[in-house]
Amino acid sequence: MSLAEKIKVLIVDDQVTSRLLLSDALTQLGFKQITAAGDGEQGMKIMEQQPHHLVISDFNMPKMDGLGFLQAVRTNPTTKKAAFIILTAQGDRALVQKAAQLGANNVLAKPFTIEKMKAAIEAVFGALK
Amino acid sequence: MTIEATAKRVHIIQGEYKVVSDPDVVLSTILGSCVAACLRDPVAGVGGMNHFLLPGSVNSLASGGDATRYGVHLMELLINGLLKRGARRDRLEAKVFGGAKTISTFSNVGEQNAAFAMQFLKDEGIPVVSSSVGGEHGRKLEYWPISGRARQYPLTGAETQKTVALEQRPVPAVRPVENSIEFF
Repeated sequence: MSLAEKIKVLIVDDQVTSRLLLSDALTQLGFKQITAAGDGEQGMKIMEQQPHHLVISDFNMPKMDGLGFLQAVRTNPTTKKAAFIILTAQGDRALVQKAAQLGANNVLAKPFTIEKMKAAIEAVFGALK
Repeated sequence: MTIEATAKRVHIIQGEYKVVSDPDVVLSTILGSCVAACLRDPVAGVGGMNHFLLPGSVNSLASGGDATRYGVHLMELLINGLLKRGARRDRLEAKVFGGAKTISTFSNVGEQNAAFAMQFLKDEGIPVVSSSVGGEHGRKLEYWPISGRARQYPLTGAETQKTVALEQRPVPAVRPVENSIEFF
């Protein structure tokens, strides 16, 4: 079993289309255990019930945004060890710094390529294959 | 003085998007094979437009691909811009224009771009209240984002060819932004 197959991934994005593209890119990289949520609140519920190893979350979302969700994940004892990659549609330095302060493991800019996504995940977990 | 004369005109070019909440603003653009999605929230009084041409063949949304991700990104920027100005996703309505099939290229890039926009909006649950896509002529488009009024003028054959030639020049914005930072 490859490393990618072992990692449980939770993708959180308010846009159906983005969730589809994320899930597709992860599948292409060999990931098999992928769950999706539409916002931070829903994402947190899933994480509390079943912690995932890796969270890939959008920043701009209704209810709980990406940073709020990151904070919630980091302060909950059952979820705090998850790797967290935040997605951003706009290259915002302040946002990147804030995400780093709150304990994000990496940032991935949209629109991403498969290679960029792979590099962002490998920077956290090491080589996937 | 007519409304048109007092209106503040903002022109949008390929790869751009604009969100406004000023009722005097009219957004305008010129479309060959390109597509413009016009979105607004009638309750919040905010609206906007983007203008894109996805390179090469745009696969179905489910199959991914760089062009598809770029298109989704452009739609997302417009939607995020609207939400920041107080729009709500469940109140958004769309109008879609452009995607002319042009003789010079013999390809159906315009058609694919229009289909992409329609599919994206359908998947996101944003109703398309009207659209004018395809055909052999380009369009000059005007959109009043607050009222949702849209007006289009067909381009002549020569104007369409000129517009398409301009559209097909490489656009620097097509590549993803290089701002991925690795913390460790």
